[in-house]
Amino acid sequence: MTLSLPALVAVAVVGLLGIGLAGLLVTRNLIKVVVGMQVMVKGGMLAMVLAGHLCGQVQTGAALALTVIVADTIVSVVALAFAVQVRRRFGTLDLQALSTLRR
Amino acid sequence: MPSIGTLAILSIAIPWTGALAVWLARDRRPALQHVLAVGFALAGGVAAVAMIPQRTEANVFGAALGSAFGELTFLPDGLAVFLAVVATVIGSLAVIFSLDYMRGERQQARYYALVLFFIGAMVGLVLSSNLLLVFVFWEITAFCSYALISFYNDDPKAVAAGIKALIMTQVGGIGLLAGALLLYAYQGSYDVPTFLAAATQLPPEVLAVMAFGFLVAAAAKSAQFPFQTWLPDAMEAPTPISALIHAATMVNAGVYLLARFYPAFEAVPHWRLAVITVGAVTALMAAVMAIVSNDLKRVLAHSTVSQLGYMVYAIGAGGVFASQFHLLSHSVFKALLFLSAGAVIHAVHTRDMREMGGLGRRMPLTRVVMIIGALALAGIPIVNGFWSKELILEVGHEGGPAWAWYVMLAGAGLTALYTLRFITMVFYGEPHAKGHVHDAGPAMKVALVPLALGTLTTWLIAGDFARFLGRAAAGGHGEAAAESTGALLAQVATAPATLVALLVIAAGLCGYWQRARLSGLARALEGVAVMARHNFGFEAINRGIVGATAGAAESLRATQPGILNWNVMAILVGLVVVLAILALGGA
Repeated sequence: MTLSLPALVAVAVVGLLGIGLAGLLVTRNLIKVVVGMQVMVKGGMLAMVLAGHLCGQVQTGAALALTVIVADTIVSVVALAFAVQVRRRFGTLDLQALSTLRR
Repeated sequence: MPSIGTLAILSIAIPWTGALAVWLARDRRPALQHVLAVGFALAGGVAAVAMIPQRTEANVFGAALGSAFGELTFLPDGLAVFLAVVATVIGSLAVIFSLDYMRGERQQARYYALVLFFIGAMVGLVLSSNLLLVFVFWEITAFCSYALISFYNDDPKAVAAGIKALIMTQVGGIGLLAGALLLYAYQGSYDVPTFLAAATQLPPEVLAVMAFGFLVAAAAKSAQFPFQTWLPDAMEAPTPISALIHAATMVNAGVYLLARFYPAFEAVPHWRLAVITVGAVTALMAAVMAIVSNDLKRVLAHSTVSQLGYMVYAIGAGGVFASQFHLLSHSVFKALLFLSAGAVIHAVHTRDMREMGGLGRRMPLTRVVMIIGALALAGIPIVNGFWSKELILEVGHEGGPAWAWYVMLAGAGLTALYTLRFITMVFYGEPHAKGHVHDAGPAMKVALVPLALGTLTTWLIAGDFARFLGRAAAGGHGEAAAESTGALLAQVATAPATLVALLVIAAGLCGYWQRARLSGLARALEGVAVMARHNFGFEAINRGIVGATAGAAESLRATQPGILNWNVMAILVGLVVVLAILALGGA
């Protein structure tokens, strides 16, 4: 059984989203959270391109993916900068230790 | 002469522009600020009064607001114009009075800006014929009342009272919003005249939900049972604000809502009985609480709640005109009572009546005008409160159940009793006030004298007022809209209900006069007095609700640990649930 290219891409999308989500579910390290988010966003981007291909609007899909790349880069840069500051100020990157809402 | 649509816009826009101007003038130039505040308030009053000859029963001014919001339209009929005039004119007098009362206070820009914003919002509320905008203006008045009740925001009691007023009136706001959205769902627009003309075409159960939703809204806004506790607490506000809330704006909105929609809800089963019950219970309960209170402003606040109960009762009994006539009388005499109470409090620096006494000789003008207001409150001939209260009792005698009528009658007797009590405690007997006591200042007098004259004379325009209200007040029991003043007054004066009521009022007065001899009776009723001092347990209920809410929030805190993993998990579960619903719904 051979998979068609769109089906292969769809599997990759689900895989990327799943891996990213699993990472977000289990990790407590701020850097790893950013990595997990990045993996998820890449899955999302791939989904947009795939959707563009399936609807016959490849340009729209590509344009959306480019927009997401820009937004996503900014998000990770800011998040990583925060991580640096958090590490300097609190001495840890463990989210559970950083949380102030716990009782 | 500008058209009525322009005037309607102006009477909202002028106070709001004034609010902005006063705000921008800041506190460095108090003289400019006062000129601006009084000028814009009076100009708003002129615009509202100019609407009187041009009133119409059709929508005027249409500006599309886009899609679901409908059109910005006004319905300046007799009822709406009357309330707009009350709001702007009485509001202007409160602003003038404030010049003396607020002299030397800090942050007057905030004060005058909020007052003008409040007045403009009240005018918008009564003039607007788009129910969604009625709701928007309704909420603006709620916000302004909150901000003004908490004006002394370094006083925790004032802040608590403001938040209480906000929360309680929000409960009513939900009722109004639910009614408005239902109307849109079934009628396709928020237009009030369309609804009033074709209310019976809505499904009866929808109409019933709207009717009771509006009753909740009106009860919360007008401090009726079971929401009556916020108004007495609102006494922490500066006294001119109390006058504004009690006489010109805010509490009139609830009565307006019931009067406006009475024709539509009249036939809803049990609705009229519910309205009568709310009014009667409130009137009696508040009168009892007024007897046991020693805080001058609190007594007046309870009396407002009680008199609003009379108006609500009148609407339930079918007397829309009677309720509006009493609203007119009440606005004038209650503004007078509050402002003269403000002059007294300003002079002696306390609200406790046990520390006053014997002020009559030192504040002669205040005594005269306050007694005039008190006569009207007690319903003693021939000032305006007498005629309107007797009209309500007459209408209630014909249109309402007998038990409610006896309750209202008892309320009238108690009103006379507590009125005599507070006048005696403030102006007669041994002086208890320390230090120098001065009579009202010049700006205070400018506000007090016209109100006193109004209290003495507004009943003379009863017939014109009935014609002025026109269709909005027509129909119902025991009233013909187009009677002359003479016929209307003769009808009230000769009604058997009037005679009975006068006897009860006289009994109430004698009861206070002979209180020493009645001490046995007073001791027997001590239990009632203790209950009244504790607000008949309503404060405990309020505290219980607040406690339960806080407790629920505290126990739900565990679900908000701020830990990312849990939040992601919750998002995932939510996503699965949504997908499941979509999958099942699509099958």
